Amino acid sequence: MSDGIQIPPSSTSEPARVSYAVPRRLFAGLESVFDEEVFFLILSVFIGIFSGLAVVCFRLAIDWTHLALLGPITHFHNWHIIVVPAGVGLVVALLVMWLFPGVRGSGVNQTKAALYIFNGYIPFRTAVGKFICSALAIGSGQSLGPEDPSLQIGASIASALGRQLKISREKLRLMGPVGAAAGLAAAFNAPISAVLFVIEEVIGRWSAGILGSVVLAAVSSVVIVRWFLGSEPLFRIPITTFKRPSELIAYAILGIVGGFAAVIFSKAVGYLRPRLKAMPRWTQYFQPAVAGLIVGLIAFFGAPEVLGAGYDSMDQAMHGQYAWKLLAILALLKILATTVSFVSGTPGGMFAPALFVGAMLGGAVGGVERLFVPHLAGSTATYVLVGMGVLFAGFLRVPMTSVFMVLEVSGNYEIIVPVIVANTCAYVVSRSLQPIPIFDLLTRQDGLILPSLEEEREETILRVEDAMLPVPKTILNAQDYIDASARRVQDSAEGAFLVRLHPSGWSAISGDQLLRLFQEGKGEHTLGSLLSTQNLPSLYPDLPLDAALRYVNNFPLVPVVHRADSHRLLGVVSRDSVFRKYGGAQTVAGD
Amino acid sequence: MRRDFVARLSYLVPRSAPIVLLLLTLAAVAGFAAVSHLVARFNANQQSRGRKLYAAGLEDVNAHRYDDAVDAFRAALTCDPSNSQYELSLARALRDSGDPLLLDEAESYLLTLWQSAPQDAAVNLALARVAARRGSVADATRYYHNAMYGVWNSDSDVNRRDARIELIQFLLKEKATDRAESELIALASNLPADPALHLQTAQLFEQAHDYSGARSQYEEVLHHESSNAIALAGLGQAFYNLGDYASAQRYLQRAVGANPQDAHSRQLLATAELVLRVNPYRTHISDAERNRRIIAAFTQAERRLAECAQSRSVILPRAISAPVTASTANQPPASPLLALQASWLAMKPQLPHIRSAAETDLPDSIMDLVFQIEQQTASQCGAPQGYDLALLLISQKREAAGQ
Repeated sequence: MSDGIQIPPSSTSEPARVSYAVPRRLFAGLESVFDEEVFFLILSVFIGIFSGLAVVCFRLAIDWTHLALLGPITHFHNWHIIVVPAGVGLVVALLVMWLFPGVRGSGVNQTKAALYIFNGYIPFRTAVGKFICSALAIGSGQSLGPEDPSLQIGASIASALGRQLKISREKLRLMGPVGAAAGLAAAFNAPISAVLFVIEEVIGRWSAGILGSVVLAAVSSVVIVRWFLGSEPLFRIPITTFKRPSELIAYAILGIVGGFAAVIFSKAVGYLRPRLKAMPRWTQYFQPAVAGLIVGLIAFFGAPEVLGAGYDSMDQAMHGQYAWKLLAILALLKILATTVSFVSGTPGGMFAPALFVGAMLGGAVGGVERLFVPHLAGSTATYVLVGMGVLFAGFLRVPMTSVFMVLEVSGNYEIIVPVIVANTCAYVVSRSLQPIPIFDLLTRQDGLILPSLEEEREETILRVEDAMLPVPKTILNAQDYIDASARRVQDSAEGAFLVRLHPSGWSAISGDQLLRLFQEGKGEHTLGSLLSTQNLPSLYPDLPLDAALRYVNNFPLVPVVHRADSHRLLGVVSRDSVFRKYGGAQTVAGD
Repeated sequence: MRRDFVARLSYLVPRSAPIVLLLLTLAAVAGFAAVSHLVARFNANQQSRGRKLYAAGLEDVNAHRYDDAVDAFRAALTCDPSNSQYELSLARALRDSGDPLLLDEAESYLLTLWQSAPQDAAVNLALARVAARRGSVADATRYYHNAMYGVWNSDSDVNRRDARIELIQFLLKEKATDRAESELIALASNLPADPALHLQTAQLFEQAHDYSGARSQYEEVLHHESSNAIALAGLGQAFYNLGDYASAQRYLQRAVGANPQDAHSRQLLATAELVLRVNPYRTHISDAERNRRIIAAFTQAERRLAECAQSRSVILPRAISAPVTASTANQPPASPLLALQASWLAMKPQLPHIRSAAETDLPDSIMDLVFQIEQQTASQCGAPQGYDLALLLISQKREAAGQ
């Protein structure tokens, strides 16, 4: 069994469903209102509420742990910051090894695994374990963030609720992503980014059915968090501006630098994680403690900013509190600290550290550009914000989420162009140097083969137009007599013929069938009166080729028509042409 | 065994959608109540901790330990992030720490507060001070005005007046004298009968070179405190600057009498007395006295010209060397002092005719030359002293009267 992934006791049996019949007269009227779709939508709101409540408690727990262990302000050269992360790391390791083996790491992969492998099953114990262990780890200063754990807590709550209510397996699979969106939205106080992340990274496709539930859950969880913790954004955003298009060059440079940093970060995690996991089991009791010690030493010797999620430091970077050299050093140290914290198996997320590294890197690149090309450089705050998105796009490889996350956090749509430019550069650089995204890499290291959504996005889809044959030379009319039609086709090399129906529509007949009808003495009947198939389904050239598979076995030819004019025949597909295309595609794939 | 129990328990869970939703609602309400209680307790605990840290921060501010104050206020704000008082105090401490990097952060905190309460006078005042620290006259003026017309929790009149005085001081520092003057006029029109305030306002008028305004404010002070030495000196100086040397003499004498250590007033008094003594345009003097003063001024002007020429290594001719020809007339003189000397030498022969009734314009011509010499030498050789200073002041007064 892989780290952090727990196989459910029974993942194949279909659970008993909620009865939507009328068990009690009292509710007879209401029952008819609640079909499964409506019920699922309403349930999404409750998932949002429960996830929001859980995330509020989670954040309080982190704050309380931090205050109790490290105090409200952390100064370097204070022995506390060495002892506390290391000591708590030992406690967390014991909890993970003995009580909550499923809580190691980020939580995003576990949610994906639940969707694709375990029919939506995420043990509730995972939520409890994730809550306790992540709160201890992050509160004690391990360089990890609370967002991914919040995502998993939300998913776990949703899964438990779905199981308890015994909803259908299809819906149960979707409960995880719905809960994940709720948890992430609550953690970030940013519903759009959470919805996009779940669509982009966890589910991987836009589906109207799931989108409504995900949005409802995300919005309701954010409402809960804002109710209890206020609606203040994560950072105090200074005035950010984008004045001249020439500034885009500077942001593109930031994107390229961020892309390289993201690759370094990914490679470091990807290289160290399997090696630490392969070490003897007893060492895993000490790995989080050693990671805590390293993080503590970094903090002790002058960089307490690397402790925990680091939102305060990001805030200060945004307000120009650090010189560019210090920002660059902090970015490198945070990569180091987060890598050791994460690969040691300490529960916690990588969202906040990615934002931190991006913010510091953005500020540093901005500082350097301001030094050498002052006419190109924008404000510090803009660089820091754009930098956050850059690492999100390059490291987590969620380009759309990265753009909206920056917009949602900053509340400023003026910087959308710099964000898009920089994020695209970072994404392209990262993708070309590290083809496998970090979450997919972690999944494969865990021995699970989950669909790589980034690869799916890039995959070439065969369409009807790829297998389409030209319009046949001989097209029959339904009003023609059989004998006339037979005479028309007797010298034709084609095996099947399209028949134009009156007033509209298409049918098909094979040459053999037409000849048989003629030989049976039905020559004076019209073709239309004897056709076995009165109306063929039509295809459109842009449809996936899979759509043609449904028809080509039953009909010798299937017409392909224009979407704007169904009378206009563009070509035909046959079983041979479709299969030939799939065969060709397989050959190409095999190559 | 446990599985059986769970199975039996799940059998009890209703399967009807409305009942399920009702139970979920109840669970949500219960969860909401529990989390509310938890958050309230946590917040109360944090607020208590925040209050202690805030108090420590205030002590640090009072002791001018701004770095420690920043830490304390930051910590307080961590405990109670929504407390605008902590935020305001942190912003003030950041601003007053003297670190220009922290000024941006201070401004950011203040802008956040301002967005939520743009009418808050304290926030506007703090923002005005940040803008003033940056030397931004437009921003500072806007925020100071917001502070003046904004909402104060207490002592609104005093706070508004203090904000205006601070704005005036800032404008004067930034040499925006016109704006400062208009603010001073507004300030003066709303002052209570407080000699200290009038005195302060008078001094600000004086810094803005509005001596009429300063005079009326000093008079207000003396109206309440007739022997206030500062006001007497100030009023004397105001009259002196307005060219009313007789009044200046009167008040400066009283000022020196009230405060014999006041060297500046004593010096001004001496000059004012000298002006009164040598001014040929003074009323109520005889023609003989007027002529005597003109001749003395003419003689003094020559002396001043010679001293100035010597200090600038210019050799002046002792007599008119050659008549001015057409060819030399077109050439500019080597030094303006030479031209003045030439004019002085040309004028000297006419001096005996000053008593002549026919030469009515001669006194003015002589004095015009004297004033030209004094002004030119002042610009060439620096500010004069004594008699020359008195002549220069008379020339300035004449010019002002002519305008």
